[in-house]
Amino acid sequence: MTRHPRRNLRGTVALLAAALATLGAAGVHRLAGAAAAGDDGPYTTADATREAYGRPFATLDEAGRPAFFRGRSLFRQSWVVAPAQDAEVDGLGPLYNRLACLSCHPKNGRGQAPAGPDERMQSMLVRLSVPGSGPHGGPKPHPAYGDQLNEEGIPGVPGEGRAAVHWEEEAVALGDGEVVRLRRPRLEFRDLAYGPLDGVLTSPRVGQAVFGLGLLDAVPDRELARMAREAKPDGVGGRVNRVWDAQRGRTVAGRFGWKANMPSLRQQIAGAMAGDLGITSDLFPAANCTPAQAACRAAPNGGTPELSGAQLDAIETYLARLAAPRPRPREGGERGAALFAAAGCPACHRPRLMTGATVAGARHGIPAGTAFAPYTDLLVHDMGDGLADGRPDFAASGREWRTAPLWGLGLQALVNGHTYLLHDGRARNATEAILWHGGEARIARDRFAAMARADRAALLAFLYSL
Amino acid sequence: MSARSIPLVLPCATRRRLLHSLAAGACAVLAAPLRAAPQPVVVLTSYPDEVVSRIEAAFEKAHPGQRLQVVWRMPHDALPYLRQPGQGGVDVYWTASPRNFATLKAEGAWRSLDGLGVDRHGLPAVLGNTPLSDPDGQYLATEMAGYGFAVNPGALARRGVPLPGDWEDLADPRLAGALALPIPARVGFAPVMVEIVLQAYGWERGWALWSEIAGNAVLIDRGSTFVADEVAAGRVAVGLSIDFFAAAAVANGAPLRFLYPRHGGVNPGQIAVTAGAPNPAGAKVFVEFVLSPVGQAILADPDIRKLPVRPAAYASLPADYPNLFELAAAGGYGFDGRLAQPRLGLTAAAFQQQLVVPHAEVAALWRRIHAAEAKPPVGEAARAVAAARRALGAAPLSEIEAADETLRRRFRSRVEGADATALEDVEEQWRRRAAARRAEAARLLAEAGA
Repeated sequence: MTRHPRRNLRGTVALLAAALATLGAAGVHRLAGAAAAGDDGPYTTADATREAYGRPFATLDEAGRPAFFRGRSLFRQSWVVAPAQDAEVDGLGPLYNRLACLSCHPKNGRGQAPAGPDERMQSMLVRLSVPGSGPHGGPKPHPAYGDQLNEEGIPGVPGEGRAAVHWEEEAVALGDGEVVRLRRPRLEFRDLAYGPLDGVLTSPRVGQAVFGLGLLDAVPDRELARMAREAKPDGVGGRVNRVWDAQRGRTVAGRFGWKANMPSLRQQIAGAMAGDLGITSDLFPAANCTPAQAACRAAPNGGTPELSGAQLDAIETYLARLAAPRPRPREGGERGAALFAAAGCPACHRPRLMTGATVAGARHGIPAGTAFAPYTDLLVHDMGDGLADGRPDFAASGREWRTAPLWGLGLQALVNGHTYLLHDGRARNATEAILWHGGEARIARDRFAAMARADRAALLAFLYSL
Repeated sequence: MSARSIPLVLPCATRRRLLHSLAAGACAVLAAPLRAAPQPVVVLTSYPDEVVSRIEAAFEKAHPGQRLQVVWRMPHDALPYLRQPGQGGVDVYWTASPRNFATLKAEGAWRSLDGLGVDRHGLPAVLGNTPLSDPDGQYLATEMAGYGFAVNPGALARRGVPLPGDWEDLADPRLAGALALPIPARVGFAPVMVEIVLQAYGWERGWALWSEIAGNAVLIDRGSTFVADEVAAGRVAVGLSIDFFAAAAVANGAPLRFLYPRHGGVNPGQIAVTAGAPNPAGAKVFVEFVLSPVGQAILADPDIRKLPVRPAAYASLPADYPNLFELAAAGGYGFDGRLAQPRLGLTAAAFQQQLVVPHAEVAALWRRIHAAEAKPPVGEAARAVAAARRALGAAPLSEIEAADETLRRRFRSRVEGADATALEDVEEQWRRRAAARRAEAARLLAEAGA
């Protein structure tokens, strides 16, 4: 027996869907949010090719193109061990995960987990910490390994080790009897170079898609707070993570990252440069070496900092101006939109957000009052035991995750060649991702599970139309 | 059966609650007994992430006991790295820089692949007139890329210009402002392109053709837009490119085509094992993997689209996949990379002073010449316009001067990503000479009333 809800879910969904159908297409879209939020505006792209995640805003003019392209070049850059003649791009490591931003965000899209323990992590990494709080209330780094397992080291600096992924499967039955197999990762650390990883908290993460970030950056903090306060159905809550802003030197609202542990696009970029590539910047000026890592601390750097302010500006310009793919009509998608709404999904996967008069919006050239359809609320929610990583991150608990944006979902298979979802890539498709929802999303998940096969297909058609 | 009949099973969470496990993130965390990591195969390369990541994943999957450590450096930066004591700990050098392989061979940097037991069977030594692999077996080609034209057929049609078949077609005045030209001194693959034309058309005619092509061109710098993007967006109708950039764009949905010219050229990517390789056994495994059917098949990935060097590999590729072996067999691939290598830096630097630095002026003068020729001029005016054409198309230096070894050496480090620091005196000389010729061309055109 499931724990909730105790009513006839299939009947509820059928009634809601029937009621919604009477609203007509416009009403359905309003409720589900589709087409009502600047879907065809200059901040979206109609490109539906494998390059769909790499198109700039239509507002990008000739004057803005050079900076955008400089940023693209840096995002694609494989970084170089210092010292080097290419001094602008040296400073890799000493410890790092991959050579380029693009490695974890292939074609600006989603990374994936290894298929098994003999495959290395290519677009995935493992966050580490120990119980307690670190500086400014964030995770407390592991004393020997820091806050992330850096699998690679430059020559002369041993990489920290390898994380292998074993998959364990389990079956779950849906309302109509269909059985879906879900898989969860089990990590194994191998070849640890700096001693045992005792008492460590871990959280494997795949790279996220990087389009539309300028729009998300331009949503005012007060709007996040308002959404958190707003009453929602089905026991859904949602909190603003409170995180450290290295630029402003104070605690602010978080919005980027799987647990919304980064306050701004700029800090998200600088944090990834530091954590994943070992590239220092004004925001993160310290090399990523722990006291236990002598060779790392003795290695040459590529300047102080290694990423100049102008380079950080260029990457920010690029990522901020990557347009979000426009929804594409798909058979059954309209009915699926109604079912998406009826199941309660938009309580978190909000189809309509609005930019405000923010500093970020001004930097990115996005006017206040621009509506867009990311299908997220940027809040963290209790997602239940199944997805819990047990690793708190600032105010987000080990059970809380930021609502993942759904825009561009339907192009992921084409662009990235896979349909894997969730923070550790465990879900092999949207159905599995939905079935992993728990906690605040449990009722919505159960409604989906109770749907007839045709209704589930319609809902998925809607998701894949995004 | 209802949704309630089989609950979602949460064994890990249950176990976590029971054990209060700290390792909560992914069900459970196992730590294998501490042991040293396997000795990696250290590979120095300048291939982009699309190539490196796919080869790395496939290699470690095929050889679970092997580890790859990738050290990334552009060719100009790789030379000093490999000249360090111990060759920087590098086992394998793998990149598309025939010049580096030849230069380092002369310095004794490689060990014999034959001696390592790498099987060369089925790997052609040449394509047309271009050597692919070292005849002494110290380095082997692993992939190829051909030079040519990325075209937007619609944009060409709007200008009434047919598909270009060879380099001289790019001098068509209707392509003014509609041709993307990567700057040879700044963009890694472009210096070879300069040499293809100089070899195909001869030194004097080649430089004249480059001047006229450059007059039509929009210049593309390193780290800026991509040629294929400009062509696909229709901002230009033709882009000079190496094939895989355009082919990958096509495979990703871009509305363009890539055309191999009648006078083609190829640039092989090659692989060598260093003389001081700390892990020669692992290096051999990697070399053999890259040359294996699996390694060669990866080249056809839509984000890579390079050309296999193993002819047998084409049997499993789509019928329309370019096959330069077939094109070369039909003639047209007389380009000899060995002749080009020693002067690549020199010709790229001369191109810079002659056609890139004063590009706006060059383009404006060619527009005036083309406009005058369109009328067409007669008598003295015709002679003046023809003289202006000769002045503007004159080579920046003679072929004999370009053969001077001392001069070549001064520019050897200037290409494949290197930035020029200070101008050489000879560059100042080229610059002044080119300016004088432009002034002469302008004077002649004024005389002709053009």
